[in-house]
Amino acid sequence: MKKFNTDKELLSAYVDGELTQSDKNLIEEKIKSSLELQKELSDLKKLKELTSHSVKRIPDSPFFETRLFANLKSESESKSKLNIKKWIPISALSLITLGLMAILKFNPNLLNNLIEEQKSNLAGFYKENLKPLLYAANLTNEDIFNFALYQELPLDSANQQVLKLGYDPAGTEYFEIKNASDFDQVNNLKKFAAALELNDEEVDMIDSIIGSYSEEISALVLVNDKNSVAINPNIWNTRKIILADILAFAKKHAGDNYSKILPTQMAQFDSRSIVKWVSEAKALKDDQYIFCTSDSIFRETFEFDMDEFSKNMEEMTKELAELHEQKALVNEYRFRIDSSFDKHKKHIDRSNQFEVTVDRDFIKVNVQSFGVDIPEIDLPDFDSIAIIINEATKNINVVHPPAPPVTVGKKNFNYNYNTVKPKKNRSSDVNLDSLMHEKNIEVDSKRSEQQKRFKDQSPETSSGYYFNDSLIILQNQDLKKEMDKLRRELEQFRKDLTIPQKDDSLKSKKSIQKIKATGVKVIEI
Amino acid sequence: MEYEQIENMQQPKILSLDDDFSLIKRFIDGDEAVFGELVKRHKDKVRNIVYITLSNSNSVDDIAQEVFITVYRHLKNFRFESQFTTWIYRITINKCKDHLRKKSVRKIFLPLADEEKEPVLETINEDSDIIQIVRNAIGILPDKLRIPLVLKDLEGFSYQEIADTMECEIGTVKSRIFRAREALKKVLKPLEKELMT
Repeated sequence: MKKFNTDKELLSAYVDGELTQSDKNLIEEKIKSSLELQKELSDLKKLKELTSHSVKRIPDSPFFETRLFANLKSESESKSKLNIKKWIPISALSLITLGLMAILKFNPNLLNNLIEEQKSNLAGFYKENLKPLLYAANLTNEDIFNFALYQELPLDSANQQVLKLGYDPAGTEYFEIKNASDFDQVNNLKKFAAALELNDEEVDMIDSIIGSYSEEISALVLVNDKNSVAINPNIWNTRKIILADILAFAKKHAGDNYSKILPTQMAQFDSRSIVKWVSEAKALKDDQYIFCTSDSIFRETFEFDMDEFSKNMEEMTKELAELHEQKALVNEYRFRIDSSFDKHKKHIDRSNQFEVTVDRDFIKVNVQSFGVDIPEIDLPDFDSIAIIINEATKNINVVHPPAPPVTVGKKNFNYNYNTVKPKKNRSSDVNLDSLMHEKNIEVDSKRSEQQKRFKDQSPETSSGYYFNDSLIILQNQDLKKEMDKLRRELEQFRKDLTIPQKDDSLKSKKSIQKIKATGVKVIEI
Repeated sequence: MEYEQIENMQQPKILSLDDDFSLIKRFIDGDEAVFGELVKRHKDKVRNIVYITLSNSNSVDDIAQEVFITVYRHLKNFRFESQFTTWIYRITINKCKDHLRKKSVRKIFLPLADEEKEPVLETINEDSDIIQIVRNAIGILPDKLRIPLVLKDLEGFSYQEIADTMECEIGTVKSRIFRAREALKKVLKPLEKELMT
């Protein structure tokens, strides 16, 4: 059967005329001798004829070529478009890269310049509208005196934020911006004056001395409405100068009382050296400010023109006065540090530039590693003197009458511009003993902190400090006698006070305004 | 005899190797206008091959267009190692195979009602025209048997040309044509008397 199939396959090829001559001869021989193959050959020829005619020729397509060339044209166009599209991003990227390479090749500092420009833009943003602290915080002589002694400056008129200068145990300067503690240094200047037994004229003189520094301090600490605080490093020296100036005045005018409250070995300042220090400090023109902002701390050159500001301030004062007349609501300027420092904590830069410590209520900046060249003047250690003064005057209290109402007009306008405002509303019932007791507790806690720092800074002088402390307590016995006298006068004062209070309630609004406008003066005893 | 000689002399050698090759060389040299001449020469053959291969005239021109577009794209890479006709017929057969493959895949996913009605599926009955019957019988043959058969019987290709076009051995072509004829005979067996008369 297989052989027959092979013969039939040869027969099929034979019909197609595809056999070699030898195969052709072979199959022809077989066909002659086989009827079956003859029939097969006949069937194959018929089948081939049928299949050859089974399919008609396909009709012509007259538009075949036209359509083809149209297709070819559109395809070539789309292909070229596709190619262009394909190369657009690559060529664009290449061009940009080459351009950048060329720019950086010929201007290698471009990126640095851009960064610097951005930095200066940022710095410029925070430098805008900077105002001196005096204007923002209504700085009083009391504040300046406290700053000289306790190194704390209020940053706003409500005394909610304070700037505190200090020294680390290592002796490096730092400043803190923190919420004001409950402890208020109330009437320390008055107590100091009382302890020195200064007369009214001398009190005015010391007021004028301290007041002369207010502008200088104001220019050293600038604040603005963008939560920026710009601090001139020279403030550390200025603070010492103020203290030295106060002590020099006290030595000159108080004489014995001065030597009572200050140990002689620590207070031997001659007037010449103090004058020299003051002139040196005033001669230091440091235009480098440390800017403490809500998102960065940086050093930047900034020149503050106090004269220009004074002119503007006069205009602003006029505007304020006009507003008062119109009884319009004035938005009081306030400086506030964003207390939600939690969200910034993760981003606090701990680079080598400076050390920043942030807590919920304060921010502390150590300026030594910041690279600020703080102009140094060779001054005595005033911190220990400040502690001694505090100790000596802690039992001397100055009594205020209850604060008169300051509400003016229907809108309860809070008028506290450039007025001495009591730091805290005490009980109207003035009791000297209870006040003294309360104050002693507060001062003790404060003093322990100061002693600790004092001890860390100068261990060699710490023993002298404790000796002087007991000496002062003995000296204060004289003061106790005077205080008895004060108590009696106070009783008399309380009696006198009840009469004007009744009168006050009967006074018209106009009269209240008059009192307020002239300023509430502290009643001195 | 004399008449035949005169006829041969007058008839231009349209499909000669030299003509195709010279046109292709001109095309490679940049004269793309000669492509029109190549199309003109070979379009009928290509369209017929598509037609007889698919047993269907619906997509003939589309596939023939694709064939010439492919030729146009790759003509500059032609290596002159084989005849141009062999090359273009190979492309044509491959396009037809692609079309049939796609159609068979589509058929799987199409519901029966939507299936394209093809002549190959038509039932053979005694009333049908004999040519149509044979055509239908050819249509039901598998591609690998049908294509060599139609190239041989309808287009007159030699076994060698079919082998070159289908990229297979000449013995394979011979065997497949034989098997195709055997299959046709079986299909047409019931109508043997009518067909053979």
